[in-house]
Amino acid sequence: MRLKLKDLPEENIFSSGHTACAGCGAAMAIRNIAKVLGKEIIIYVPASCLSVFNGLFPSCAWTVPYHHTVFENTGAAISGLSRAMKRKGLDNVTVVGIAGDGGTADIGLQALSGAAERNEDVIYICYDNEAYMNTGVQRSGSTPHGASTTTTPVGKLMKGKQDFKKDVPLIMMAHSVPYVATASVSFPLDLINKVKKAKETKGFRYLQVYAPCVPGWGYEQSKTVELGKLAVECGMWFLLECENGQLKINREPKMKNLETYLKMQGRFRHMDEKQIAELQESIERKWEFYKGYADLTQRLYSGSEASV
Amino acid sequence: MKEIILHGRGGQGAVLAAQALASAAVFEDKYAMAFPHFGAERRGAPVAAFARIAEGRILTKAHIYKPDYVIVLDPWLAGLVDVAKGMEGHEGTSGGVPMGSVKTDICQGLNKKGAAVLNTARPPDEVRLSLEVCVGTVDATTIALETLGHPATNSCMLGAFAKTTEEVSIGSIEKGIMDVFGERLGEGIAERNVKAAKLGFERTEVGMCSGGREFPAQKKWLPDVDELPPGCAIRSQDTEYGKLGPGSTVQNETGSWRTFHPIVDDEKCTYCMLCWFHCPDGCIGRVPDKESVSVDYFYCKGCGICSEVCPVDAITMVREVEG
Amino acid sequence: MRRVVGSNYATSHAVMRARVEVIAAYPITPQTQMVEHIAKFINDGIMDCEYINVESEHSAISAVIASQAAGVRSFTSTASQGLALMHELLFSAGGLRLPIVMGVVNRSVGSTGGIWVEYNDSMPQRDCGWLQMYVETNQEVHDMILQAYKIAEDKRVLLPIMICSDGFILSHTVEPVELAEQEEVDGFLPKYEARHSYLDPKDPIASGIVTPREYRQEFAYQIHRAMLEAKDVIGEVNRDFADKFGRDHSGLIETEFVEDAEVILLTLGTVTSTARGVVRELRKKGKKAGLVKVRAFRPYPAERIAEVCKDARAVGVYDRSVSFGVGGPHYLEVRNALFDSDVPVIDFIGGLGGRDVAEADVRSMYDVLLEAAKTGKAKRNIEWVNTRGVVLG
Repeated sequence: MRLKLKDLPEENIFSSGHTACAGCGAAMAIRNIAKVLGKEIIIYVPASCLSVFNGLFPSCAWTVPYHHTVFENTGAAISGLSRAMKRKGLDNVTVVGIAGDGGTADIGLQALSGAAERNEDVIYICYDNEAYMNTGVQRSGSTPHGASTTTTPVGKLMKGKQDFKKDVPLIMMAHSVPYVATASVSFPLDLINKVKKAKETKGFRYLQVYAPCVPGWGYEQSKTVELGKLAVECGMWFLLECENGQLKINREPKMKNLETYLKMQGRFRHMDEKQIAELQESIERKWEFYKGYADLTQRLYSGSEASV
Repeated sequence: MKEIILHGRGGQGAVLAAQALASAAVFEDKYAMAFPHFGAERRGAPVAAFARIAEGRILTKAHIYKPDYVIVLDPWLAGLVDVAKGMEGHEGTSGGVPMGSVKTDICQGLNKKGAAVLNTARPPDEVRLSLEVCVGTVDATTIALETLGHPATNSCMLGAFAKTTEEVSIGSIEKGIMDVFGERLGEGIAERNVKAAKLGFERTEVGMCSGGREFPAQKKWLPDVDELPPGCAIRSQDTEYGKLGPGSTVQNETGSWRTFHPIVDDEKCTYCMLCWFHCPDGCIGRVPDKESVSVDYFYCKGCGICSEVCPVDAITMVREVEG
Repeated sequence: MRRVVGSNYATSHAVMRARVEVIAAYPITPQTQMVEHIAKFINDGIMDCEYINVESEHSAISAVIASQAAGVRSFTSTASQGLALMHELLFSAGGLRLPIVMGVVNRSVGSTGGIWVEYNDSMPQRDCGWLQMYVETNQEVHDMILQAYKIAEDKRVLLPIMICSDGFILSHTVEPVELAEQEEVDGFLPKYEARHSYLDPKDPIASGIVTPREYRQEFAYQIHRAMLEAKDVIGEVNRDFADKFGRDHSGLIETEFVEDAEVILLTLGTVTSTARGVVRELRKKGKKAGLVKVRAFRPYPAERIAEVCKDARAVGVYDRSVSFGVGGPHYLEVRNALFDSDVPVIDFIGGLGGRDVAEADVRSMYDVLLEAAKTGKAKRNIEWVNTRGVVLG
């Protein structure tokens, strides 16, 4: 049965009083995801904005067991936690890693890939704010084309990131894990039901949640949700779900209003027509790819539960 | 040597202001330094920055404990706004006092012959601090909103500092802002900040405040070696210093970060729960009896998302006022 | 059960007997057989544990830190580059006070080093908050894995521990080892009861929250103090082990002929065995030579060393790695231990990259020491043994 907003509990798993910036997309995602996951969880957080805004010792926003060590080991750490739970006979406990996009697409990719390949019984959540926000907005592999960051600044010669966003969800689909999904803070029902499905699935589950960042993207702090909606509308972010090899597109993008989306954000404000055209072309190609990939996998894996 | 502490919130530019102040002093052939509190604070969280100005080389690299001047970029921090009013019994309070309050005695260690430069709409004689001391007051939030469009009060407060203390001239402040802000934020934004500084200088009132105000003592958990849990593995506990461990952020009064706050119109509310879901801070409570929502101002950082996502315009954002 | 095995087998067998519940490891020469033996034990159904075949040493240590933080007895092992790759996480294991046991099969690390023994992998890890013990025989490796859990899990210690053994010289040399029976081990090593760090939703703790400067220094002091307390614990556990198994490894240090010795050589690892022979030979010739096998490097038994060396007229230190521009790391420890003594202390650096340290090399060390004892001073404090173009003494 699909969850509705009223089904979520009032009680916080991720407490108020955390120190995320006003309007933080990541905090919005995490506190609601935690409500769906419930109390029988263990959380691992690598170095990230979250590892700071969830409180510094002796303070902690998590009301559930929490573990943190370093930046690049989320996949490995949650593997260790999951195996320990198995030994302790705590089969009802879900082990959840929550990392940023830098900790996922870049420095943590190896450990993530290893854990996925071993099909560890864990949920890996990447909150994607498209740069290293904890250290003050440096580019990550997940930063989109054209975006200005402190390491892809707008200069006289080059303006913004020259390369394109790394498609980590696709990389995860290539690992043939039971569940891969993308979601956005701006689509509440889609998000919470994907978390629910992830929770009810066994094995390795990957969820990447689009989470706008006020200081990193340079927009008015009340516009977090609106930006997330525009991103899905224009094709800068897709809502996808890949279950046992079968890809489904949850929401058909209109593939328009890219400029409206870009102009709302300081990080894209410098982009000229040529750069915008390049970006438009790249997302259209991506969209065609996903449509084809969905058709193909629907055919290949239809009716097969044990397809992976 | 003159030592200055700047109290601000993340995003208000306390560190940049300290650097611009040092730059201004150097334009007057003095020696100066500026440094942050080396924290990992997010936007809105209380931060401090430090500056020293002297005729010759400054040797100390330690923090500042006995400032000659304090600059307070935000009225909340000096306890001029009472966020916790009417919050007795809130889960974040103990005996009516917010445990994670940012309200600090900004006069702590302040040189009696020094001065406090405050962002407040009140004239000096209506300000009450723990110390009877020279204060410069200016409504910097309004100036910042007018000139910059957002409440970054740092440049304006540098103007107020020049006016109150006469340690550096407003001309040097302008140069310092162009030097430091220009490098970081570009010339256009630097120029707007120069304008804010000039307005700050012009509108600052200097006088004596009244003293004798008591601030609740801030108790911080600083246990001895033997009392610290080995390996920093900490469980949830209530102590005389407040809550520790899992769930303990509930005592953080993040409501003091805001400039605007939401007001809900129960009549219009359709109880769709979008604001409840989208609030990053869990400030919106469901009130099933009224089929409406409530706002927990203890935590509300004033982002305004609730107002934006409301499909029936039942939530409006209102500027915070002192009182 | 007595069998002729290499140290990797001896370690794996001891790990099985210690009822370790989570293992994460990655193969690297000369440790590889260890991950293979454990896999075989598990697939044959004689060992019951969660085995994580991770994709790197970085993930191996990350996984066992997490499982140990969750309150479950854990093990990993590595060598050389693998240990270097773990370096970052070693601080986390120490900082979180997790009694993880790691088998380190020493091997040189970095360029101009191959796959053979040198201590430049483990020595640079000495400040991470891990206990370090160096062993001499395959039997000792086996016994120390069992002792390691008891030492590390003692509430006065609660620190991770490395059992360091010489690559190839132990790992790929088979010699007789008395492999412990399960009942014997169960009578020696109780089940691990996690008291300070466990992750259970019924009683949530936060483990490893980013710690601001108001607390770090006290936590560091706690580790320092625990490290000092470990000196007693290592001795107690050794005696307990000796009572139950009849094998006494002497705790922090082991001595030979030191009572009346004029010259004493301090060794680490397998060179000790060769030196034992040389010392006997010298004694037969009437030379007053003594030997100290230093078993614990962290904590370093400085007081014991000072006590043992107080009447010696020259003290030598064997080092299988270099702190460039200074000397060997072991030498620095001994200089510190003998800070208020006038006795000449001479460092012998040799056996790097697995170069053989033969009787002749050990004899040359004693020759230098005997000469220094005669003159009352060292010609040089840092000597390079069997190094082409460098003259010893």
